[in-house]
Amino acid sequence: MRNALVLASLLLLGSLVAFGQGYAEMPADAKIIPIGEAGTLYETMELGVQGGTLTIANIEDPRGWNDQIAKETSTTYFTNRMLRGLVTLDHLSGAIVPELAKSWDISEDGLTITFHLRQGLKWSDGTDFTSADVLFTFNDLVLNEDIDTDSRDGLVLPDGSYPVFSAPDDYTVVVEMSVVFRPVLTQLSTNINPKHALEQYVAKLNPDVTPGTFNESWTLDMDLADLVGMGPWMVVDYQPNVSVTMERNPYYYAYDSAGTQLPYYDTHVSAIVANQNVSMLKFRNGEVDTYGVRPEDIPILLPEGPAKGFEVMITDLPLYGTTWFCVNQDIGLAEGTLNAKREVYRNVKFREALAHLIDKQTMITNVLNGLGAPQWSPISMPSPFYAGRDYYGGPVTETNAAWFEYDPAKAAGILDDLGVVDADGDGWRDLPNGEALAIEINTNDNTVRTGYCLIYQDDLRNVGLNATFQVVDFNTLVGRLLGSSGDIIQLGLTGGDEPNSGRNVYGSCSGLHAYRYSACDDPTEVDLRIDELYSLGTSTFDLDEAFAYYAEAQDLIARDLGYIYMVNRTFQYAYYEYVGNAQFSSPTSTPGGANGLLSELCFDKRL
Amino acid sequence: MLTYMIRRTLYMIPLLLIVSLFSFTLIKIMPGDFLTLARLNPLITEETLQTQIERFGLDKPFIVQYWFWLKNIVTRGDFGMSYETRMPVYKSLFLGNRLPWTVFIALSTLILTYIFAIPIGIYSATHQYKPSDHIITFLGFLGLSIPNFFFALVLLWLLVVVFHVGDYGLSVGNIMDMHYYGAPWSWDKIVNILWHMWPVWVVIGTSGMAGLIRLMRGNLLDTLALPYVTTARAKGLKERIVVYKHAVRNAINPLVTILGLTLPNLVAGSIVTAIVLNLPTVGRSYFAALQRQDEPVIMAGLLFFSLFLLIGNLLADFLLAWVDPRIRYD
Repeated sequence: MRNALVLASLLLLGSLVAFGQGYAEMPADAKIIPIGEAGTLYETMELGVQGGTLTIANIEDPRGWNDQIAKETSTTYFTNRMLRGLVTLDHLSGAIVPELAKSWDISEDGLTITFHLRQGLKWSDGTDFTSADVLFTFNDLVLNEDIDTDSRDGLVLPDGSYPVFSAPDDYTVVVEMSVVFRPVLTQLSTNINPKHALEQYVAKLNPDVTPGTFNESWTLDMDLADLVGMGPWMVVDYQPNVSVTMERNPYYYAYDSAGTQLPYYDTHVSAIVANQNVSMLKFRNGEVDTYGVRPEDIPILLPEGPAKGFEVMITDLPLYGTTWFCVNQDIGLAEGTLNAKREVYRNVKFREALAHLIDKQTMITNVLNGLGAPQWSPISMPSPFYAGRDYYGGPVTETNAAWFEYDPAKAAGILDDLGVVDADGDGWRDLPNGEALAIEINTNDNTVRTGYCLIYQDDLRNVGLNATFQVVDFNTLVGRLLGSSGDIIQLGLTGGDEPNSGRNVYGSCSGLHAYRYSACDDPTEVDLRIDELYSLGTSTFDLDEAFAYYAEAQDLIARDLGYIYMVNRTFQYAYYEYVGNAQFSSPTSTPGGANGLLSELCFDKRL
Repeated sequence: MLTYMIRRTLYMIPLLLIVSLFSFTLIKIMPGDFLTLARLNPLITEETLQTQIERFGLDKPFIVQYWFWLKNIVTRGDFGMSYETRMPVYKSLFLGNRLPWTVFIALSTLILTYIFAIPIGIYSATHQYKPSDHIITFLGFLGLSIPNFFFALVLLWLLVVVFHVGDYGLSVGNIMDMHYYGAPWSWDKIVNILWHMWPVWVVIGTSGMAGLIRLMRGNLLDTLALPYVTTARAKGLKERIVVYKHAVRNAINPLVTILGLTLPNLVAGSIVTAIVLNLPTVGRSYFAALQRQDEPVIMAGLLFFSLFLLIGNLLADFLLAWVDPRIRYD
């Protein structure tokens, strides 16, 4: 079967007309990955050889090939492999490192960033890459109101304006801002799009088309030979519901330390498998090379690995994102009801009692098969800004963690002190004014979330809180959360390395401040300080200074218990031993079934 | 007959209109919309959400949205664009060879089901209450009662974990190995398709077979009890001729009618199997649209399935008139 695969790949290669011949020699500005070089993060990796096919499985079909319109990971898995940004977040360190720009300078006042682009690079069709492509991407796509992209959202400066992009020459790009905005660097990792291939769809540049045309370009039905990119692979074949096949880009500009052009694999196939169980069967059947392991798969895969020749990587690194219980501090506010309940919910001591009732260890053991980590901060643990570290990017020590350890006795004591006691002798605690206190916990139909809620319900009931748990439809759940009509809701949010996205959650007037929307009109001192810290965090390029602001914000948020953080899954995956360098991975590259592999550095050991 | 056919076909138009209104209402009653997930994304601002809401017209009253949807279909034949893929809905539903594959899977399963169900039904009837009849009936009901998704998973599990087909280079799921999809037709490809299709036929086929077997068995038993069969036997005809030439011919009529009704069921009913067995069918793209609340695609998919159902009904009526000379529509 593998022979047949190679044959099919050769057939595909033969049919490619759009690809150029590749570089005659390594470009002077090529990106060199220091594989095997002592003192680097790549020290223990092996040099590979070119050739072979890497097969992975994705759960959903891509929605298109248009990078700016792409939103979910089933699409960005491919667009992020076909395109590159000015800078990128290093998968191993999380730091911002050069990509299409070989270096950049930040002016004294922090208002101007000058990028120096790599010279002599070409797009996959052989066209030169220049600053015109960068200007096209930012001025004509990202900052163009006609285009449905959320890349624009990350570029809004604190004063509401946008950065101004200009290019003094073919290989220099200048970004000017009205105020200092540190996260702009992260935002500039946005993929650069090919001007020569896409400008025909932009109404601003081509008066013959209507304003929305770009949004409907590079859709799934396009001729794939027209795709142009800068990344390691280009999509050459798409079979709906079956597979996406990518071939190496002959003009990819990254090389290993021995001078071999990357990626090592010639072909990268993504099988589209709609069901996780089938995905695992296909892995066990040797049809795919890697698999993103769920906690429940471990007992099956671990014993089978040695015989079948695959490894199961179990790490203690939590994935990005948060999971929490949201206690609605505005409950009944709009209707003018439940005043006594709202008053109790707004008391931080009461929320502390609720936090002390979250049995994180049992949740990890029973729901996640032990493959989880407790969480306390709004910022994901892999982020260099995570306050469980002592300094920016430092090791996780948790010396500053704001834990609320599981302690039902302490919780009961707090409740007693607050007067939340059983006044009428029915066995359930009542509100201080004697009204009955009934708590409803909601989440959607999801085994893991349901598991968390059942454990929590039991713990609340054990201290005499009359809690009931009810599963509701996902959209209803979101409606209750964002409509401020829920009671206690269990859900989670996505996260990343850059803490500034948290402003859209913890900023007192933000749309996801779902635990207390009224904070916008009536902010507490804590709310105001959090707002201030998020502003300060973006106003300096000094990462240690920014770290200090975010550390204080994390501490305040964790102690304010708006969202009460719980546990997070850790990162697991499995791979066949013949995939070289597969033991190096990072949750940074996990989303969308990449299974964490640094796929362009993997190679086939059997070649 | 011709006027009847024309009249029946014309009736489909108001029916489809009513179906579309009902479907549209149901979709709108569902909590949330296409942008629900985006609302939970900290990276997306309120302004962007608002722009999207306006672009998709989600801020307009329900009846206005329905009116625009209907108007575009009637005046321009435009069923709308998918929110998700930004393609016209028919491409979102049918891209690639989804439609031919769906028809292939449905028809081949249908034919196989009949090929097996009719003889088994006849055998079962002629061996009434014998152990073989009980065994066949039991197996038939087993196939009917096991949920398709579970049966499909068990089959795949057996192949991979018990029989280790991977060691022989055989893959599971799909209609063929991935690399054959784009490849030209060859003998190898056909063999490969046969290897991949048998679990599909078994899973989808067994679920429909029990009913047909019971129906064939019941009809034939009824017919065999009729006086004309006794007459035939009394004339000294061979039992084979009595059963096949005289009884089966009359007993099979209702099965022909059911043929038309089975068609829509095979298309819509195999969605779950298609997901587990990874089949590139219209059902898969329709299911994806449902999950994402991609309304234009859901609406188009519902209309497509309704049309299939109506055509199936129509065919059933025509077939009945054709096979049974006693039936006349005027």
